[in-house]
Amino acid sequence: MNSSVIILMILSVIRLSAPVFIAGVGNMFCERVGILNLGTEGMMVSGAFGAVLGSSLSGNPWVGVLCGILGGGLAAAIYGIICVEFGGTQAIAGLGLNMFCLGFTTFLCSAIFKSNISPNVANLNHSELLSGIPVLGSFLGQLSPLIFLMILVAAIAYMIIFKTSLGLRMRSVGDDPKAVETAGIDVWKVKYLGVLLCGIICGFAGAYMSLGQLDRFVMGMTNGKGMLAVIAVKMGRWNPLGIMGTALLLGVFDVIQLQLQLNHAVTVPPELVQTIPFIAGIVVLSFQQSGDERPSSLEKPYLKNKYKF
Amino acid sequence: MVYAVQMKQITKQFPKVLANDHVDFDVYQGEIHALVGENGAGKSTLMNILYGLYLPTAGEIVIKGESVRLGSALDAIRHGIGMVHQHFMLIPRLSVAENIVLGAESQTRKRGIFFDRQAAIQKVEAVSREYSLQIDAAAKVKNISLGMQQRVEILKTVYRGADIIILDEPTAVLTPQEIEELGEILKALKKMGKTVIIITHKIDEVMSFSDRVTVLRQGRKVGTIVTAEVDEKQITRMMVGKDIALGGHKETTAFVEDILTVRGVNLTGKQGKRILADINLSLKRGEIVGVSGIDGSGQTQLAEVISGVCRPDSGTVVYKGQDITRESISVRKDQGIAFIPQDRHKDGLVLPFSIQDNLVLGFQRRKEFCRGRSRINQEALKVYAAEKIKEYDIRTPSPLQPAETLSGGNQQKIIAARELSNGPELIVADQPTRGIDVGAIEFIHNILTERRNEGCGVLLVSLELDELMLLSDRIVVMNQGRIAGIVRPEETTREEIGLLMVGGTNVKDEGEGRDDEGKR
Amino acid sequence: MKVKGNGVDARRASSIMTPVVLVLLALAVAAVMILATGKNPVTAYSALFYGAFGSPAGIINTLNKAVPICFCAFAVSMSQKGGTFNIGVEGQLLMGASACTLAGIYLNGLPAVVHIPLALMAGMAVGLAWCLIPAVLYIKRGVSLLVIFLLMNSIAGFVLQYLVLDRFASGNALVPATEAVKDSAILPYLVRRPGKLSAAMIIAVICAAVLYYFYNKMVAGYEMRATGLNPNAAYTSGIDTKKYMFYSLVFGGMLAGLGGGLEILGNHHRLYTGFSPGYGYDGIPIAILSGGNPFIAIAGSILFGALRAGSINMRAMSGVSDEIVSVIQGLLILFVACQYIVKYFLNKLTVRKSPFTAFDIKKGGTHE
Repeated sequence: MNSSVIILMILSVIRLSAPVFIAGVGNMFCERVGILNLGTEGMMVSGAFGAVLGSSLSGNPWVGVLCGILGGGLAAAIYGIICVEFGGTQAIAGLGLNMFCLGFTTFLCSAIFKSNISPNVANLNHSELLSGIPVLGSFLGQLSPLIFLMILVAAIAYMIIFKTSLGLRMRSVGDDPKAVETAGIDVWKVKYLGVLLCGIICGFAGAYMSLGQLDRFVMGMTNGKGMLAVIAVKMGRWNPLGIMGTALLLGVFDVIQLQLQLNHAVTVPPELVQTIPFIAGIVVLSFQQSGDERPSSLEKPYLKNKYKF
Repeated sequence: MVYAVQMKQITKQFPKVLANDHVDFDVYQGEIHALVGENGAGKSTLMNILYGLYLPTAGEIVIKGESVRLGSALDAIRHGIGMVHQHFMLIPRLSVAENIVLGAESQTRKRGIFFDRQAAIQKVEAVSREYSLQIDAAAKVKNISLGMQQRVEILKTVYRGADIIILDEPTAVLTPQEIEELGEILKALKKMGKTVIIITHKIDEVMSFSDRVTVLRQGRKVGTIVTAEVDEKQITRMMVGKDIALGGHKETTAFVEDILTVRGVNLTGKQGKRILADINLSLKRGEIVGVSGIDGSGQTQLAEVISGVCRPDSGTVVYKGQDITRESISVRKDQGIAFIPQDRHKDGLVLPFSIQDNLVLGFQRRKEFCRGRSRINQEALKVYAAEKIKEYDIRTPSPLQPAETLSGGNQQKIIAARELSNGPELIVADQPTRGIDVGAIEFIHNILTERRNEGCGVLLVSLELDELMLLSDRIVVMNQGRIAGIVRPEETTREEIGLLMVGGTNVKDEGEGRDDEGKR
Repeated sequence: MKVKGNGVDARRASSIMTPVVLVLLALAVAAVMILATGKNPVTAYSALFYGAFGSPAGIINTLNKAVPICFCAFAVSMSQKGGTFNIGVEGQLLMGASACTLAGIYLNGLPAVVHIPLALMAGMAVGLAWCLIPAVLYIKRGVSLLVIFLLMNSIAGFVLQYLVLDRFASGNALVPATEAVKDSAILPYLVRRPGKLSAAMIIAVICAAVLYYFYNKMVAGYEMRATGLNPNAAYTSGIDTKKYMFYSLVFGGMLAGLGGGLEILGNHHRLYTGFSPGYGYDGIPIAILSGGNPFIAIAGSILFGALRAGSINMRAMSGVSDEIVSVIQGLLILFVACQYIVKYFLNKLTVRKSPFTAFDIKKGGTHE
């Protein structure tokens, strides 16, 4: 294979891993405060739709991205009320959020755009600004500017969770909310913050999918990426670096299966080839040693005294 | 005298329980005040209200003359109240310094939002020196001893500026020596002008530490007295309302047969941590062998190895002449081994199940409870449940009530009824009287000694040395997974046992070639 | 001081009221959304109801749609009884349906009375097998069951596509499907006009009875329930908890596979890629709402079946797109997730007077 094919493949890996990576980072905030988020898909699709809506109404893709972030945040607000305030069962609530957001975004799409697919809108598929850079310019220019933003967001997330006192509080809440409550901290505020951060980052991931990779909204376009993000958090040991590694790994498998589909020399049925990333996920999970980094109170609701009866 | 704390007519109504009933509680500035009562009297609830974790249903709280509303722990902390809980509120993964500054990190911040670890360590070490509370600021909490963890908890309170410090059952996990050290710490705090409230159900500590005592019983205050003016018996009577005789009724027995022999048992845990090391022990029919030691010395695991909950890495467990080391729990049950686990909620009962269903847990396949071999015989269960509820005095309106609605003492009686009614020959009881009311404790003591008199061997693990001294024929003292010594209650003292708990050895009992009475 | 409560009665009351309230809440919120898009929720809901129950054809349609959901709910309930959570029912349903269809197509010369049970057993076996790897990985290696099941569901979707579009495609250009099963594999019908209602519903009811008997009257059912409610206590009492956890998962897989098979043999008679619009995921909230009672699960499945059956009529009569059904289901699942809180609020509304003396509320605050 010549270098241009390799470059194309690297670009593909980056593009395919990006949503899983950044949604995983978002999810990390949620799980670090002890809340499992199976509703990542829902937050992402809300972001995807919000981004397209914003872009179509304003004509400016960056406004679209902001609207996407808002969309993810709204989904997170619902999730936060159910899981943080009301202490709901998180696994169920996540699945419910997915179903609700998927249905609601399609519902809105057909109500507003009269179809399950939105019209094309102003998008952010390429970074013209960077193509002027010597040597790397043509490579970097082909990536959406959102990708570079993602790296920035991930770096900030890393610093927040490991270097700030807020991050200390979040990690403590995820381990033992009772201990944190007796230290005089409002545990629920911290949990809300974790869920909201997750929502806006996942909304950003969705915005990338609709505006950064594509230029429209298609119903259900997140197509399982949200679940992969949940998996990436566990496999990445709740650390942005690990999450990036896992996302890239899954992205590599995704590219392999796409290549196999294109390359007709290999006669493997395309549908079965698509299962490769998922089987890879199962294999990795079965061999992973369970370590110490799991937040101890993950999935355990922490109910306010006033709701006990 | 100036009041540090005045709690007036405090009432706390939980959905199913009236925990505090118009309680008046006053504490003078600079005194050490003990709050006593048996389990379930409402002491912890009252102090949780003082610390802002619960809002009272009615009543008023006055701190240093000012009427306040304590809606959260932060409110309490702001008014100078600090609390050391019975189960430590520490994050194992974090360091001592991080745990102490958590909630007050603004004092240790770099450039506004970043957390400055070094500053935290330095500040914490400074406060530790000021109060002579020796800790290792950089160590991770999961790696330090329970005694140090308690000092960390106390430091947490003074770091946040507390001058009223509440300690909830602080001596539950300490050795006799550590209890003395705690006494010194409390006296030092008092000298520095702090007010100390100590919740406890142990009367001897009340006598040695406190200036005044308030007694609660069943949610109501019985009275407040000056410690120097009363004796233990009076306090007990106030706590319980009557004279209670603990310790059961042991009779002289003539059994000589060994029913259980443990030889060379070793158990290693995660990361090579030694849990049990070279345990050699024999138990006769008709005797109660107490197992003592600080929490975490391997007592629970010893009980689990004998009952079948876990398997040792090496060594043998011989019961009635047969090697049962690898046998399953259900086989051991059928052979007559009864097990009362340490944590009744986690391992002893299925709380949502009815009392009736809990009474057969583990025995559901017995012929008398089945129709055919696979169907439940509901009528037999009903009859059995009614019988046991009467026999064991389990207070409940109906056998169909879920077990979770019962008090701790009644729940423990369900487990006792279940395990001790099917002809056991060896009873393994792990802290059977922990956290239950005195009436239930009396009942359990009676039933254990009754079975002992009938010829059961009883292995009794307990953290309450008094209980072991009363009930045991012999006491095994464990330390860090080893048997440090085996003594007879009538031939030893609490101090000697305390020494054994922390690592002194009773030379008579180590190694091969000696039986566990120390004789060659 | 303990107070005698009427715990048992209060519990019963709230366990019947709660599902009803949850359903009404979901419908109410969706109604607001319908309003926001300018349509009339009353017309929409009446069209929905009429489409589902207003005619014999509608009722038959509803019952047909209820069947696969029902078996998935049974499967999820069983896993909950054993202390686990089987969200892989969608994949088990798909694979069970596939195996059953293939057995229905390619087994020759058998009379119906043999062919149907064999095909259904193939479906059950494959449904069980699809659950095996996740169950083993979970019990032996502590792998996250949730994640593995979700991955298996995705894989099942692709395998189904492969079978229908590739390996066993019937070549029909209009509708991607396999060939039809042999006549000997078609489930007998209870009713033929105005719509076809197969015997699958009867099998569902029989299953419910068997499950109910197992859970409540059999010792193994007792042991499974103990494992589910407190695996530690069950283990300490001598029960083989790993066995029951395993069974609760794989027999659930078997039930889901059966449901899938019945859906094909009783309804479609051939395999389509999209034959399940998410029946497995519908089963989850129903399992929870039913509180483990299989008969209530049947009732809940009929409700969801009604939603799906009536949605076409709703779109025709009121112009509201059938995505609203997903929205209603999503809302319902969200409310089910916080059903404890719903019980709390119901409790507050219904318990007016505290049975104890009223206290004066001074500076203590009252909202506890």
